[in-house]
Amino acid sequence: MTVLIGDPVLEELRGILGPEHVLTGKADRLNRARVPAPFPVHRWAERMPDLVVLPASTEEVAEVLRLADALRIPVVPRDGGTGLTDGAVPLRGGIVVDVKRINQIKEIDLGNRTCTVGVGINALKLNEVLARHGLIYPDDPASYPCSLVGGRIGTSGWSLIGSRYGHTRDLVLSFDHVLPGGRVIHVGDGIGRKITKSSSGYQLKHLFMGHQGTLGIATEATLKLFPKPEAEFSPFWAFEDYDSAYRAVGALARAGVATFAGAVLFDEWKVDYLRRDDEAYIPQPSSVKALVCAALYGYEDEVRAGGRRLLRIARSLGARYLGDEISEGDWAARHDRYATPLHGRTKSGQVVPMSWHCEDASINYTRLPAVRLAWHEIAARLRRESDVFDDWGMFAYTNGATGADYLTEIDIGIWEQRLDDTAWAAWVRAKRDLAAVTLEHGGSISACHGSCREGEVDLVPEELGGGYDVMLAVKRAIDPNNIMNPGKYLLDQAYAEEP
Amino acid sequence: MPDPDERPEKEFAEEWRDAAYNCFSSGHKFCREVCPVMQVTRNESWSPTAFHANVVAMEKGELEVADVAADYVNCTGCGACEVRCPNSLFTGDFYRFRTRTVDLVKAVRGLAVEQGVHQPGWRRWNQLTDERRHEPVLDGTPVDQGRVRDWAEGLELPIGGESILFVDCEAAFVRTSVPRSVARILSLAGYEFGLMNEQWCCGGPAAEMGYDEQARRFARHNLDDWRAAGVRRVLVLDPHDYITFTEDYPRYFGDAYDIEIVLVVELLAELIREGRLTPHVPVERTVTYHDPCRLNKRKGVWREPREILRAIPGLTFHDVDRVSQWSYCSGGGGGLPVEKPELTAKISEQRVGKAAELGVDTLVSACPWAERPLSDAGRARSIDVVDLHELLAESLGVSP
Repeated sequence: MTVLIGDPVLEELRGILGPEHVLTGKADRLNRARVPAPFPVHRWAERMPDLVVLPASTEEVAEVLRLADALRIPVVPRDGGTGLTDGAVPLRGGIVVDVKRINQIKEIDLGNRTCTVGVGINALKLNEVLARHGLIYPDDPASYPCSLVGGRIGTSGWSLIGSRYGHTRDLVLSFDHVLPGGRVIHVGDGIGRKITKSSSGYQLKHLFMGHQGTLGIATEATLKLFPKPEAEFSPFWAFEDYDSAYRAVGALARAGVATFAGAVLFDEWKVDYLRRDDEAYIPQPSSVKALVCAALYGYEDEVRAGGRRLLRIARSLGARYLGDEISEGDWAARHDRYATPLHGRTKSGQVVPMSWHCEDASINYTRLPAVRLAWHEIAARLRRESDVFDDWGMFAYTNGATGADYLTEIDIGIWEQRLDDTAWAAWVRAKRDLAAVTLEHGGSISACHGSCREGEVDLVPEELGGGYDVMLAVKRAIDPNNIMNPGKYLLDQAYAEEP
Repeated sequence: MPDPDERPEKEFAEEWRDAAYNCFSSGHKFCREVCPVMQVTRNESWSPTAFHANVVAMEKGELEVADVAADYVNCTGCGACEVRCPNSLFTGDFYRFRTRTVDLVKAVRGLAVEQGVHQPGWRRWNQLTDERRHEPVLDGTPVDQGRVRDWAEGLELPIGGESILFVDCEAAFVRTSVPRSVARILSLAGYEFGLMNEQWCCGGPAAEMGYDEQARRFARHNLDDWRAAGVRRVLVLDPHDYITFTEDYPRYFGDAYDIEIVLVVELLAELIREGRLTPHVPVERTVTYHDPCRLNKRKGVWREPREILRAIPGLTFHDVDRVSQWSYCSGGGGGLPVEKPELTAKISEQRVGKAAELGVDTLVSACPWAERPLSDAGRARSIDVVDLHELLAESLGVSP
């Protein structure tokens, strides 16, 4: 689709939104095709939308979708654009619906302990306001300072402290959702806006979370709030080998401490990567090969007691506590310090600016060691194939309070300035292979990002089996004209002619 | 069709490419929610991270400077994005890397002017500045060389000397009570200083709007004037001038630039500490302090203004820490009020709104350029905007 100035579509959109909220400039469009790297920057221009709209309300979003549906124009919703599976990247041009202006706090309901917000709001900004009421919205992704509530819904996000407070799916109680034809529905548990449990009818809330914009656009959400924790304890421990650290993280997660909000395992590659520059780890003796941290939140008395228990468990498993300073500092800086482009190294050790790419999966505890080795082998192959790739090590984060499974990530640095079609093909193959390892070990291709980027997406039908056929049927039923984010999740198959 | 490798954008990208890729690729856009323009417009095209991404696009031939010059108007130069950038925060020291988004914005603006792409308001502003030697600060305020020292009438300050007080255009022609307060306080402390022989605008605003040649010409004049009068030390009360004299001038003149630049707020805090100034007249106000962006975010100066406030008897001071204030701004910097006064007003409204939540009656600032937009916004909420220097003068019992 090519939209020309003066085109009736453009005029109609300007009528709906006001002329200043319909953007056609090239820079406006390029910057709405941008997400964290490395979507292939050398093919950036292929991902551009034809125009961008900045609606301010549910009604405006609905009118845009009504028009787009009638004219069969592709629509891609965009909020923070910090997702790692290209959900917000247009594959077929069309209209990007950028919902950042829908960012008002509509209500803080102290009695029911909820708030209702426009989905363009950022959780950190929201928490600055909630703090005045002694409350917190504890959705804490790596992108906490910049991701927005709508994107968290569209990707069904994962939270670092989800073992204590739940993940986005648990924290978002309900939301207004605009269907592809422009109809506005409210999804939650039942029809209630502030209901946390209902068994009335199909449970639609999960369906309309994590669809990566293929089923419509959320606009206003009601969120569950918690008391702002009085105390935080975030011990970091060092180990001389991965296996000891692995045993310790499992024991900590299974301990059943009520204030436990999560634990993280850093493997040898990750520790090596941190040693490249991190002031907390450079001075550590070379015998330190793996790290574990845990985080506890709650009232002072309960955190202290729970913390003592975890310290005891860790000590009994050979852990060395790194001390309060490193522990507090590293946890406080967790959003900032683990993925900077400056740590990139070529095989010869030259420092080059690399982009961070995080490949994630959900893996059961007992499968973590095997998956880890298989994944590093894939990373080593990539590095053999091209100097633009660098293995930045792995983290495993608890998904829940019982320690069943972990968000498992391998971080790969990519020297984007040198990325070309050959390296990109190698990368896509590696992504497919990482996903295959996950499935071999009974895991899920993604714990938090989604799985619709090139490579991994090929294996989604295999992962979901008959469920994928249901996905196709749902997509066709809800979006009969395939206007919502077409091309994602191989969903074009839903519209193939019957043989 | 110009040779693609000789495009000025390509040459420009050579210098800025690594920083742009570092930003483009980090995946983090932590700058976005602290950016004052982004906060009020929610337009991602006007975010610090977009300003870097555009460099990548320019290098790839996807954009020309003419396509984006108007986007780069939307920056107050506050520096919040730089201090919030994870690339600088945690690894910058080790790699000797600093994200310099403010400089990038200035450089793109400079490239635009060089290519003949002008913003109408900025062009007019700089033309008038060039004609009058001072910024046309407020419509109707007479601005010319003959009046640049009018603010000091009756103070009997000498011309020249080892130390001189440099007064920015806004303070010299509009906020005259600020330099008068400073002069009275320094005289009270027995600090010897004079005024410049022929002061011109510092050139900083021209540099910020992309008019580099003019900025350098003005800087040259001022430096020559200082040298001719044997000036060794320049006292600066305006944070914007402070940036110009400590960042732009050294870049223009290199090692030959041997003038000591003293920030008046730091000097006053020192004089209080040494007991040479003792605020004693109670000032019965409930205040909060607005960290001027160029002091807090760009120069790390935040202790001294608080020291001064805490030394003033009678004040009830509700402080907001300097890190929370990374996302605060008056909207008065970077030429934004010249081209987009409506955005400046919105940013100031938001800043004053934060003060209102604290239940204060007064917002204290230390930046003459912030005080006009903040005062406008303050009127709607019955919050007085008062300059720190004036407040100190009041407590020292000296009237401007």
